[in-house]
Amino acid sequence: MGANGSRPLTETIFYVLLALGEPLHGYGIMQQVNALTNGRVPLGAGTLYGALTNLTEKGWIRPLGGGGDERRKEYVITEAGRTVIAAELERLEELVRNGRRLVKEGEA
Amino acid sequence: MSVKVVHRLYWDFEREERWLNEQAALGWHLVRYSLGSYRFEQGEPGAFIYRIELLPAGRGSAASRDYLSLLAESGIEMVSTYMRWVYLRRPAALGAFELFTDLESRIGHYRRVVGFLSVILAALACSAAALIVTSGRSGGVVLDLSLVLVVVALVLITVPTVRLSRRVHVLRSQRQIYE
Repeated sequence: MGANGSRPLTETIFYVLLALGEPLHGYGIMQQVNALTNGRVPLGAGTLYGALTNLTEKGWIRPLGGGGDERRKEYVITEAGRTVIAAELERLEELVRNGRRLVKEGEA
Repeated sequence: MSVKVVHRLYWDFEREERWLNEQAALGWHLVRYSLGSYRFEQGEPGAFIYRIELLPAGRGSAASRDYLSLLAESGIEMVSTYMRWVYLRRPAALGAFELFTDLESRIGHYRRVVGFLSVILAALACSAAALIVTSGRSGGVVLDLSLVLVVVALVLITVPTVRLSRRVHVLRSQRQIYE
């Protein structure tokens, strides 16, 4: 596995990373993911908190310091996180290309 | 406001959670828990959804404080706490309420609970062994009440521990197909 991880990301992780294109605190992330997916991807508080811890440890996101309000920590995606998203998009595009081919063959 | 206190002992947090939600559906909303004692207040039936969670760290730790403030922001109220357990509820009007929404985190929570129960089981097994040794020495092989209690507790706690371990196993095998 490469530094950015060549394993597929879970939907939860993918959308948390996407939401953090702009700095957001925990509840903001939940709302953003809900808006991006029209509520299709539910994001529980326990799941989100674990994801934030893991992603921070991996260096894909980072907490923003010095907001004064310690109890509402904001996070933002890092360069490493953007690289992971780019690699994931390539993987997803391949999936879609190959998937389409099969569906078209079935129609023909 | 009507209040009732019910005494019960649960070792299986999912059964306990189900029971709390059944009570809530009847209009009895948990407002306080302490070892085996549940205090309910009467209100609008089905007004709240209850969830029980074992926190990864002590309640006073920085990580837990972060998490608890995230809960508060998302409309979740901490009704009661007991050791590392938290009793949570959210108004049903806000929609479905789940703490864990992917396989990975659900497995993580189950494993946390299995770890917690295993520590209790190990302690009980040690006291059972100690009781057997001492009663052997005193020559009295008569049924010792404390030994009986310890063994009963051992059996009661083993059941949910085994059930949860199986659940972890099933969820892990699903992971091969689904996220």
